[in-house]
Amino acid sequence: MTGGGEQVLFWVLGPLAVAGALGLVFAKKAVHAALGMALTMIILGVFYIAQDAEFLGVIQIFVYTGAVMMLFLFVIMLIGVDSSDSLVETLTGQRWVTALLCLGLGGILASAMGQVTWGEAVGLDAVNAETGNVSGVAQLIFGRYVWVFELTSALLITAALGAMVLAHRERLGKGPNQREWSRRRFREGENLAGLPAPGVYARHNAVDTPALLPDGTPSPLSLSRVLTAREQVLSPDVYLEAEAAIEREMTEESER
Amino acid sequence: MPAAEFQAVQVDYAAVAPMLVVAAGALVGVLVEAFAPRRSRQRVQVWLTTLTLLAAFAVLLLWSRESMTVTLGGSVVVDGVSLFLMGALLVLSALAVLVMAERFGGVGSDAFTPMGSSTPGSAQEDTATRAGYATSEVFPLALFAVLGMMVFVTANDLITMFVGLEVLSLPLYVMTGLARRRRLLSQEAALKYFLLGGFSSAFFLFGAALLYGYAGSGDLEAISTAISTASGDLDGLLIPGVVLTMVGLLFKIGAVPFHSWTPDVYQGAPTPVTGFMAACTKIAAFGALLRLAYVGVGANRWDWEMGLVVVAALTMVVGAVLSVTQTDVKRLLAYSSIAHAGFILVGVLAFSQAGIGGVLFYLVAYGFMTVSAFGIVAMVRQGGSEASHLSQWAGLGRRHPVVAGTFAFLLLAFAGIPLTSGFTAKYAAFAPAVASGTTGTVLVVIAVLASAVTAFVYVRLIVLMYFTDPTGDDVVALVPSIPSTVAITVGVLVTVVAGIIPGLALDLASSASEFLL
Repeated sequence: MTGGGEQVLFWVLGPLAVAGALGLVFAKKAVHAALGMALTMIILGVFYIAQDAEFLGVIQIFVYTGAVMMLFLFVIMLIGVDSSDSLVETLTGQRWVTALLCLGLGGILASAMGQVTWGEAVGLDAVNAETGNVSGVAQLIFGRYVWVFELTSALLITAALGAMVLAHRERLGKGPNQREWSRRRFREGENLAGLPAPGVYARHNAVDTPALLPDGTPSPLSLSRVLTAREQVLSPDVYLEAEAAIEREMTEESER
Repeated sequence: MPAAEFQAVQVDYAAVAPMLVVAAGALVGVLVEAFAPRRSRQRVQVWLTTLTLLAAFAVLLLWSRESMTVTLGGSVVVDGVSLFLMGALLVLSALAVLVMAERFGGVGSDAFTPMGSSTPGSAQEDTATRAGYATSEVFPLALFAVLGMMVFVTANDLITMFVGLEVLSLPLYVMTGLARRRRLLSQEAALKYFLLGGFSSAFFLFGAALLYGYAGSGDLEAISTAISTASGDLDGLLIPGVVLTMVGLLFKIGAVPFHSWTPDVYQGAPTPVTGFMAACTKIAAFGALLRLAYVGVGANRWDWEMGLVVVAALTMVVGAVLSVTQTDVKRLLAYSSIAHAGFILVGVLAFSQAGIGGVLFYLVAYGFMTVSAFGIVAMVRQGGSEASHLSQWAGLGRRHPVVAGTFAFLLLAFAGIPLTSGFTAKYAAFAPAVASGTTGTVLVVIAVLASAVTAFVYVRLIVLMYFTDPTGDDVVALVPSIPSTVAITVGVLVTVVAGIIPGLALDLASSASEFLL
């Protein structure tokens, strides 16, 4: 039988794991979904450890949470946090139908499995004492399941190859160098000195704030188009107020 | 504490040699991508892939046939059924690769985009085309898919079956998204296939876990023993386990109600890949289904047989009826493939050795027809893009009698007209079903009615090709290169020969129809 401590652990962490999994499905932002998945993975690792599969539990946390989930976050960062999918549903009402069918399937499965008379849990004590935890896993991986283990390499190679085919964009031809840029600018006669730098103010330098033209209007040319596309551009008003305050102070000083 | 002595599993290398050859070919193909100069890659890959598949077939005939055994600790079983299916997979995928290699005078394969990552319709895509880029990675990917299919049909436990399922699916997802034309459609198809495929794999895995819980082992033989000796305490796990694993397999087969991906993916994927998928994935998935249903959970088939009967009937009816409304050749063939999946399921449900033989024969006959048919669909063009809309096929028979004639013949074979392999296949699959009892007879009646509906669709297309005035003058059938001509010709010849003198192939199929257990 499972001990009391393990029972408590399960009933505390189990709902959390389910919540993490639900978060993965329902979170609107990719980062939140990834973190929800990480939570579930860590809790699964804890469960493995609680059931005496220490090695598996540690590997679960190392590999899934440490490596896979971090890769996941890297990918989200590379794609850009802002790139979100359109959430418009083309099939109206499918959410309700899906929920209904899910509930039905869950109900059928639960009622079928509810009839099961479970035997005594065997546990890993005997295996851990006899073969050892790590070598027990090794015996299975390199013994009985060596064919499956080797086959997963085909899976990994396919994944790497597929990722490269679908995502690797080779640079075709040569991009213009600085000399060619400069020649082009003079030929076209626009922005001869290059584009204006973004906002530099009395107390602040800000990449996300446009520079001001002599007449006081902001110059959109001075901003990176990535920031504009992400709508992360600030208005220069805050800095202008600060500037006005300084000027006021200076006039007061000189008048004194 | 000393660990227990490690016992390595016995490997019968002769038995698994075909799979090892295909795996080695795929790995060399990846290295070719890395090191060969861009100009020669396409040529090298086509040769390498074709020779690998033929070498694996030769190895299968010479060595593996002699060593029918369960090996690798019970993960792999090489018996009559798996040998037959592996051989069929190797030959059909070799033909499919020849069709994929079709360049129509370009640098790379005509069907595949020069650069998968470029935005559809962008300047970069044009530049890549002009610079002579080609996605020759599809050839190693195809080899990996074939490897996965072979693992799938030889898998003797549920874990191996699952990994085989993934190994065969993943390359197909990638290949689906690489069409040269109508790329947004292709990418959408790839994403749909990936998401739904992942979902169905999860079902399979859940079912496998339940069966493991039931039998205490993932080995099909152990599950079978557990069913016949069980005390009944764990019976609640058995039926959900069987149902969920079958859902995973029926998805790959494209049976109703798990078929919704089929038309979209068949239409979006590059046409030669569609042919490859239609022929080979079906073989692999039916191989696994046969093994699961006959070897693994056959002992309690009374509990789940009715469900499969309903699925088979639905598959035939929905596939046949919806193929009537299609206006796109590729979608039409997709719905026809759904209907054919239903016909094959009728053979599976015979639960007799003759039924297995019929299923094997049907799979091979259908495979040859499909690879050729999609090879021909890829040739018909209007204004540089594939003319897949039915109206574009009007009057094709007048200007391109050979192409249209071949396609018409293949359509008749799909319909199951006598003197084609389609007729023999239907007979081979339906006769055991009739012999199996009332349910089988009812299914065969539905199957014959559905066949009549699909025959109407095919004949309508033939009439369109021969007795309708062409809509535009610019619909042409391109002249194929020698490799794809060979592939299409072989496919048609097999369809003819297996229709006129079916004895040889039928004998082979029925002599192979025994599971090793």
